[in-house]
Amino acid sequence: MNESVLVLLLLSAIVVTGLSMLMGYAGQVSLGQASFTMIGAYTAALIATHGRPTWLGLLAAPFVATAAAALIGIPLLRLRGHRLAFATLAVQLVLLSVVGQQAWTGGDIGLQGIPLLNIGGYEFSGDRPYIYLALAALLLVVLITRNVVASRPGRGLRALATSEVAAESSGVPVATYKLVVFSLSAGFAGLAGGIYAFYIGYVSPGSFPVLLSFEYVVMVVVGGAGTIWGALAGATAITLLLQWLNDLGTREGMPASAPAVLSYAVYGVLLILVVLFLPRGLVPSATSWWARHVRWPRRRTSEPADTPSTAPKEMHYEPN
Amino acid sequence: MTSLLEVHDVGKAFGGVYAVREVGLTVAEGELRGVIGPNGAGKSTLFNLISGHLLPDHGTLTYAGRRLERLTPHARAKLGIAIVFQGARLFLGMTALENVMVGAHARTRHGFLSAALRLPAHRREERAIRADALEALDRVGLKDWADRAAEELPLGQQRSLQVARALCARPRLLLLDEPASGLRAAEREALAQLIESLRGEGLTTLLVEHDVAFVARLADRISVLDLGAHIAEGTPAEIRQDERVIAAYLGKEAA
Repeated sequence: MNESVLVLLLLSAIVVTGLSMLMGYAGQVSLGQASFTMIGAYTAALIATHGRPTWLGLLAAPFVATAAAALIGIPLLRLRGHRLAFATLAVQLVLLSVVGQQAWTGGDIGLQGIPLLNIGGYEFSGDRPYIYLALAALLLVVLITRNVVASRPGRGLRALATSEVAAESSGVPVATYKLVVFSLSAGFAGLAGGIYAFYIGYVSPGSFPVLLSFEYVVMVVVGGAGTIWGALAGATAITLLLQWLNDLGTREGMPASAPAVLSYAVYGVLLILVVLFLPRGLVPSATSWWARHVRWPRRRTSEPADTPSTAPKEMHYEPN
Repeated sequence: MTSLLEVHDVGKAFGGVYAVREVGLTVAEGELRGVIGPNGAGKSTLFNLISGHLLPDHGTLTYAGRRLERLTPHARAKLGIAIVFQGARLFLGMTALENVMVGAHARTRHGFLSAALRLPAHRREERAIRADALEALDRVGLKDWADRAAEELPLGQQRSLQVARALCARPRLLLLDEPASGLRAAEREALAQLIESLRGEGLTTLLVEHDVAFVARLADRISVLDLGAHIAEGTPAEIRQDERVIAAYLGKEAA
């Protein structure tokens, strides 16, 4: 694996950790998570190209993305299940079209000539420093997620994923909690976007297609929603697969449309296969397989394969 | 005795038809009040008006001197109102202990920021919540189930788990919606004893229940609803002899 793929993998993992918390713990689906990556990237790019310190751009990226999510989340999170998913998708389509037409965002061409990130006199150039930066950001995000999930508000989130009515009556402010976790996951995406802007050196609407949002969701589902390791495994598996498909599609003799067709088709096929055969995703399936077959092999006979002893964490929606 | 909950003249209509109409009742501090009525009497609607999952079209609800009717359910929970729902509204994918710990939400305060930073005060609160939840589980006889997934529990234990979740909130008013429905005789007996012992500790309870015998055994006073209207109130003995009640409800069952 070359180093630029590793940077992009780590950045995806940052976004997917947040999305996995949103989907797996709070039971809310966002099909427009790349909107927040884009907002973070543009925030960093705008600040840096206007002669402000680049570190300020990196710092502002997650906060602006969080604020944007908090704002649009107020009306959006009144929707549930697939309605919320489509609304977040619509947000991204609107954002892409608006950004593509504004002069101050550079229109369809985007913002170019973003200076290299400079923190305390150290200039980040080349792949290696960005690998460490992305790794540090991922560690921070994983740490925050782990702490939040295993806490009072984390329990509230998991509770409202099953029953908003019962969670409310236990004192969980459901609407506020949903808004906070939505904003937090957007902040993670914004942080990844900020690093991306400095790493690539330019941002344009074309860098944040709807397909990128789908990619994040596929990573969450493949890895296993609601597990931190699942987010990392999903991001890794999908990034490597895409890389391989891209190599395959751009080989000599392949038609020009091959890379796009391959990636779209593979998302579809992969999603169907995972939902059919590993509905809980790679990591939860692997850990329960491990528990059944390796750690306690004697329990194999007493426990049928489709009812693992660790309860599956699935998403439940209440019809209003 | 001072009153804890006053329901005054509340009404709620669905599509122009009143499910509850001009219903009033006053529950004293420490009282166990039963609410009975045949199917469609408006019991569940009244329950949801008090819990906050429905808003009344008119009328007032006063709890400990505060007006309730426009408060969200979680605000009511913070005031000390805890609920055991009909059926088993448990949180799936969480252990029995975690389910009960959610109940403490109403009286604890640490949020996302202190959780993300793992502040010492948050960790202290977590330990206290865990201890309280274990105590509540012990209280309803589920201590051995603490680390089992909530959905693995039999129905009777799931109901008890909901009671433990409500108790972990240290409520001032406990609302029980058809707690005995679907339970076997032994489970029903255990539940009755639990409710009785809570009353012994002075916990004010509103018990909405289809099973008249179950309510008559436990309640200090009973309110009777029929077709959305409040038709009688009194002690279990008085209710048994009330002609309107016999006509509306007991009469039909006897026939």
